[in-house]
Amino acid sequence: MKENKLTLKDISKPSGQLAELNPEEFMKLPCPYDTPESQPSLKPLTDAVREKYECDLDGYMAIKIPRPKSKEEEEQLVHKFLDGLRKLLSKENNWTFLMPLTLSLEYCAKCQTCSDACPIYVSSGKKEIYRPTFRAEALRRIVNKYIRKKGKFSLKMTGNEIELNWKTVARLAELAYRCTLCRRCAQTCPIGVDNGLITHELRKLFSQELGIAPEEIHAKGSVQHLQKGSSTGMIQQAFADTLEFLEDDIEERIGRRITIPIDKKGAEILLIHNAGEYLSWPENPSAFAIIFDAAGIDYTLSSEGVGYDAVNYGLWYDDVQLARVALRHAQIAKDLGVKKIVVGECGHAHKAISVIADRIFTGELNIPRESCMPILEDIVVNEKIKLDPSKNDFPVTLHDPCNMVRLMGVVDPQRRILRKIAPQFREMEPHGVENYCCGGGSGFAIMPSLNFPDWRSSVSARMKFKQILEAFQDLIDPSIKKMVCAPCSNCKGAIRDLLAYYNAWEKTGIAYTGLVEIIVNAMVDIKKPYIEWPDM
Amino acid sequence: MGNLSWLHYLSYISFLVFIFGILTKVIKYVRMPIHLRWELYPIPHEKKDGSYFEEIDWWKKPRRKHYLNQIVFMAQEILFIRALYHHNRKMWYASFPFHFGLYLVIAWLALLVGGALLKIFGVVGGVAEALQSVAVVVGVTGMILGTIGCVGLLIMRATTSDLKGYTAPTDYFNILFILAVLASGIIAWGSADPHFSVVQEYIRGLITFSAAVTPSKTIAWYITLFSLFLIYLPFTHMTHFFMKYFMWDKVRFEDEPNLRGSIIESKIAKVLNYTQNWSAPHIQAGTKWSETASKGVK
Repeated sequence: MKENKLTLKDISKPSGQLAELNPEEFMKLPCPYDTPESQPSLKPLTDAVREKYECDLDGYMAIKIPRPKSKEEEEQLVHKFLDGLRKLLSKENNWTFLMPLTLSLEYCAKCQTCSDACPIYVSSGKKEIYRPTFRAEALRRIVNKYIRKKGKFSLKMTGNEIELNWKTVARLAELAYRCTLCRRCAQTCPIGVDNGLITHELRKLFSQELGIAPEEIHAKGSVQHLQKGSSTGMIQQAFADTLEFLEDDIEERIGRRITIPIDKKGAEILLIHNAGEYLSWPENPSAFAIIFDAAGIDYTLSSEGVGYDAVNYGLWYDDVQLARVALRHAQIAKDLGVKKIVVGECGHAHKAISVIADRIFTGELNIPRESCMPILEDIVVNEKIKLDPSKNDFPVTLHDPCNMVRLMGVVDPQRRILRKIAPQFREMEPHGVENYCCGGGSGFAIMPSLNFPDWRSSVSARMKFKQILEAFQDLIDPSIKKMVCAPCSNCKGAIRDLLAYYNAWEKTGIAYTGLVEIIVNAMVDIKKPYIEWPDM
Repeated sequence: MGNLSWLHYLSYISFLVFIFGILTKVIKYVRMPIHLRWELYPIPHEKKDGSYFEEIDWWKKPRRKHYLNQIVFMAQEILFIRALYHHNRKMWYASFPFHFGLYLVIAWLALLVGGALLKIFGVVGGVAEALQSVAVVVGVTGMILGTIGCVGLLIMRATTSDLKGYTAPTDYFNILFILAVLASGIIAWGSADPHFSVVQEYIRGLITFSAAVTPSKTIAWYITLFSLFLIYLPFTHMTHFFMKYFMWDKVRFEDEPNLRGSIIESKIAKVLNYTQNWSAPHIQAGTKWSETASKGVK
């Protein structure tokens, strides 16, 4: 593979992979992962999968596009893609992002300033296909040639010569899922162009026009969320059983029973958690229940379908699905008569309901929404519960979820909490609004199919792993227990998989948890440690 | 107006086309519908790095926007290309003189127009002469800096592998065009108009619709190239110099919340009435946004 000669035109190549990943070319990791043998190997796709699905991008697969069986099917794919592109550029079909998209398509100076800001591009060893401008420029050229129909001379002069065939469409679909939408690239652009947005719009085109999206995000994600009540598949009865389990578990942990309020009409707050917490980390919603009970917060959970799952996967790929879930959340809050909706530790749910969906709510559904961070900060910093920081006397670093921090501006409350209750708190670099994505952003954390998890842990999450290792480099001995605090369910999932992929607990003593678990761990009234380390 | 030359007419046409082109672009974006929020922090009119979302019951509190911070931020961004300085220093060494040179040329033009107006209103002597002297320094510095920047950008685009593959013939043409305008200005200054008094007289003529002076060939070349560039500019991506307002203020920094009963809410009600035609099976094409979006709401 002569990859150094890869050009934009290659995206239309009739056959052959555009990039071959080689771990030896990846960005180097610090100790103890600084040797070739410490790098886990990458799993290739099987021949059967290759035969059935299109995989001529990089040999990894996020979405499964079946190979067209006839010339007609190939043409139909291209035709539908162009239809979708036209709709993306019309105000009736895409009022939601028409202005930002048009601006980003029309004003890129191609200075490549954004490239080094992208953790995927840098981590991969600077593979051209992962350059933030690669997919954006490919789309821009298709728009200029096939939608704005510029003349031959104009196309030649503006460099807009690109062939649109079914391979281009299939590669673009897959390429739309090689960006976590963290928007670090946009942060560095001197003009204001947003390649993350272009990726988002490309995903939308595929979902809203062609019905193409990763099944974990669409069929098993937002569709299941609306139909069954949760993207996890948890139905209402299962949720009720889970709450009972949580109450039992809390009693065992803290020695007294707490009743978790459910469907309490007129409560001040409707608290919504990412339902993944109930299944994977029940100690997180339990910790919220313990803290809110101790601080006397007037809140309720909802047992209504959708109301007990804060996620909104539409944020990553489909405006219609985003609106449906957000409106359902608002409707449930209205029916309960709460004053506000508060989102638990879930970054994308924060941004979806507070920022993005802000402009779809009208009238009585326009109910205030708030992050859980300021309330937690008020409880901890103003000492509304008794805390003993010495109970958290282990090194802790904080991961900043992109959706909560760079994309919503909730930066300091979680830091002030940790400074108050974790004496060995240390920042990773860079942090705050300049943080790096966990690698699981935009749905990657919940996409476990085929060999995609290998790509995620070795490429998209690599920069985060480097940051974590560097934050603890002076204490890297595995006998010293260290904690990554990730106050976001999806980030936590990505970091869990990342640490497991590199066998990091055994090699470095690094574990992960959420923020409320660390708060409860410091509570004076609770005798048993709340945090459970992997070896316990 | 009878004694006006083709050069004068070209100057008027270029000015009108420039204004028309810019207005067309501005109107196109102003008329676009309200979009969903897509802000990116830090937002300089908010708190240091964070937002109002860091406060409990933020909607009950008065919005404090630090406009001065935003103006200072954007001034640094526009004048000194701050993002490039921090994230792409190599390119900044060419881009900064290029852009700053152009800003000085714009300032030079403004000074010449100011000087011409003073003459029209009969103000001569001290102030007018001082203005003229400043104009010479500003103009020549701008043209030289801009030329250096053009050469630097051309070399970078032609030799850096990251840039070459993405640079189109028009990108080279644009830089060469600007280089030609600036170089012709330097030549005109050095060979025919050391105090820019002829150019200023020419501008006075344009303002008063009279041929106050007949420029020499060298100066005429400069004015022609400059006029042609004014005609060309609005139809290129180089208009990013004013589209930054939309890209930054209307997208990146746009964090105005949709409060009940607000103008934003009424704009949303309007766009929710648009009919969408997306074809995927989970969306009913031909329905209003409000209908398809409410599908999950019981």
